[in-house]
Amino acid sequence: MSQSILIADDSSTMRKIILRSLLSLGVDQVVEASDGAEAVQKFVPGNFRLVLTDWNMPNKTGLEVVQEIRAQDKAVPIVMITTEAERGRVIEAIKAGVSDYLVKPFTAEALKEKLEKHGL
Amino acid sequence: VDVAYINPFIEAASTVFKTVLNCNIERRLLSLKKTHAPTYEVSGVIGLSGKATGAVVLSVSAPVAFKVVETLLGTHVDEINADVVDAVGELTNMIAGGAKTALSHLEMSIGLPSIITGRAHQINFASRVPPICILFDTPWGPMTLDVGLDTSKVQGL
Repeated sequence: MSQSILIADDSSTMRKIILRSLLSLGVDQVVEASDGAEAVQKFVPGNFRLVLTDWNMPNKTGLEVVQEIRAQDKAVPIVMITTEAERGRVIEAIKAGVSDYLVKPFTAEALKEKLEKHGL
Repeated sequence: VDVAYINPFIEAASTVFKTVLNCNIERRLLSLKKTHAPTYEVSGVIGLSGKATGAVVLSVSAPVAFKVVETLLGTHVDEINADVVDAVGELTNMIAGGAKTALSHLEMSIGLPSIITGRAHQINFASRVPPICILFDTPWGPMTLDVGLDTSKVQGL
C-alpha cells in the first residue's frame, strides 16, 4: 500500500500547516494540489492512504473532488478541512462520501488527533 | 446594518486569532463608513452572497502580517511576499467562514479571497452597503475588519 497523502487546498499557508503536522507524525510522502482540478488529476486509486481536502477551491470544489475520488476509490479515507460548518453542508459532504470533517480554524492538536484517528 | 449581523464577524475574528495564532485581540472602535479606505498595507477581501450580500475586508499592517506568517509557518519574513498574501487571505477566509456559520439563517456562500497590497489602496463597497469598520488591537499592532452587508431582503426593506 502506498504511504502517500494528498493535500488539496488553494491556500499554500494551509497546505504548509498540514504538512508540518504530517512531518511531526513522521509522514513525508505527500502530494499537494492547489485547486480541485489538480487534486482530481493527481489522484490515482490505490496510491493514497489518505486525502485531505478543502471545500472552497477554484476550478473544482472540494465537494466535486470528493465525488470524483469516491467514484474511483471507495476505500480511501477522505477528510474535509473547511470553514463550511453548517449542519446542511456537513450532511452534503457526508452524502458525497467524506469519511471525516475538520472545521477551520483548528488547533494543531485537533489536526494531529484527526490524522492519528486515520492511522498516522 | 444591524449590529446583530456584525457581532458574528467580531467573534469569528477573535476565535480565529485565538485558535490559529494563539493570541487575544481586542476590539476598539466601531464606525460606519460611506466608502472604504483600508489604513493598512495588506487587505483580504471576500464576497458574501445569499439572503444577504456584501463583502468582508480584513486589513493589516505589514508588521502584523509578518508576525502572522511567522506564527503560522515558523518562517521569518520582512517583505510582502507570496506567504504574506496567502496567510492574510486564509485568515480572511476563516473569519468570513466563521461568521457565515453563525449567520446560517442567511444561507450565504463565501467567495474565494482576493488580496490587495500597497499603501493607501482603497476598496469601495456598493452604496447600498456602507461598511461598518471594526478596529482591533492585536499583540503586534492594529488591524481593521470592515463588513458591508445588504440584509434588506431579510428585513423586508
